[in-house]
Amino acid sequence: MKELWKIFYKGLFDENPIFILALSLCPALAVTTNVVNALTMGLTVLFVISTNNVVVSLTRKLVNPKVRVPVYITSIATIVTVVQLVLQAYFPVLYKALGIYLALVVVFAIILARAEVFASKNKMIPSFFDGFGMGAGFTIAMLVIAVIRELFGNGTIMGYVIFGAGYNPALIMILPPGAFILIGYMIGGIRLYNQRKDAKRLKGSES
Amino acid sequence: MTDVKNEQSIFKVAINLIGACLISGCIIGLVYYITAPIAAEKSEMMKQESMRGLVKDAETFKAVPNKENWFAAEQNGKTIAYVVPGHSKGYGGAITMLVAVTADGKVLDYSILTSNETPGLGDRAGQEPFKSQINGKNAAALTVVKDPSNKENVQAMTGATISSRAVTLAVKNAAEEVVQFTGGK
Repeated sequence: MKELWKIFYKGLFDENPIFILALSLCPALAVTTNVVNALTMGLTVLFVISTNNVVVSLTRKLVNPKVRVPVYITSIATIVTVVQLVLQAYFPVLYKALGIYLALVVVFAIILARAEVFASKNKMIPSFFDGFGMGAGFTIAMLVIAVIRELFGNGTIMGYVIFGAGYNPALIMILPPGAFILIGYMIGGIRLYNQRKDAKRLKGSES
Repeated sequence: MTDVKNEQSIFKVAINLIGACLISGCIIGLVYYITAPIAAEKSEMMKQESMRGLVKDAETFKAVPNKENWFAAEQNGKTIAYVVPGHSKGYGGAITMLVAVTADGKVLDYSILTSNETPGLGDRAGQEPFKSQINGKNAAALTVVKDPSNKENVQAMTGATISSRAVTLAVKNAAEEVVQFTGGK
């Protein structure tokens, strides 16, 4: 159990897909302009990556190593298409908002990376937790970015007005360059924090 | 010997790919079979609802003969407005919208159906306060200006002049078409 928790937990912070691994930055820029879109995208990726990890792990002995990547992509594409169809039928508004980025989930580096690095070498349950952790880490990162961008760029969170009408929105936060700047600072901040932590640990072990 | 091995491997690879695609095709087909009617129903419902949102007093929407995707909003059997499709090219590509115009050419309301405008900038063209600048005007007043003291025309949204122009133009064209159709009465 502890092992599984560890596998799950590393995706949240130690190996956060966006802040540490710096994978899948494209959606982190594109759909984080408001919180609802970011949340939907995060949950979609969470679902796709967990399911795909399970599928890849279950079929790891059947799939010829020579064609593993095409098979993984087929699997991811199938899951994404299913998600698309379901969203289109039951949540057409969200489906419209996510637009092209939903289809692009197929080629998100983070999903293929987890299939290749983890799921193809591990049993089903750890693979599921790996995908779940990575997906959760991705969702958290998306949410953090989206909250900051929507708050400063539009004065709202999830459509609710936080800053009054007198607030003059900082347009750059809504535009892609704002997201680049923000993510840059956040990655820098997290690196700095980790460095400090490592230095402290090193000192502690010396004395 | 190596030949046989190689052949086997290619055969295996092919089987692998065929299997993956077959399974994937079956799953997608099954899901589509279930969701397609629901999706069609939802999109029809959304269309009706969005028309109702545009013309609040209307009771029924009837398709206008000889005009594709034109709907006449009726109240007590009398046509009070027309809901017509609008098209334009915005900053991020094609914009399609629905425009409600009264028979004498006044814009009641409009909504954007599909667009790729920048979120938070151009896509505010479908929201207040930009919307209230267009509603209630007739085609002649629908030009975009950048002069805050001008209350006659439509103010461009800051940072989204192209989107403002595109949406205004689409509404204007729709209004003109309706006037042409009804003869301005």
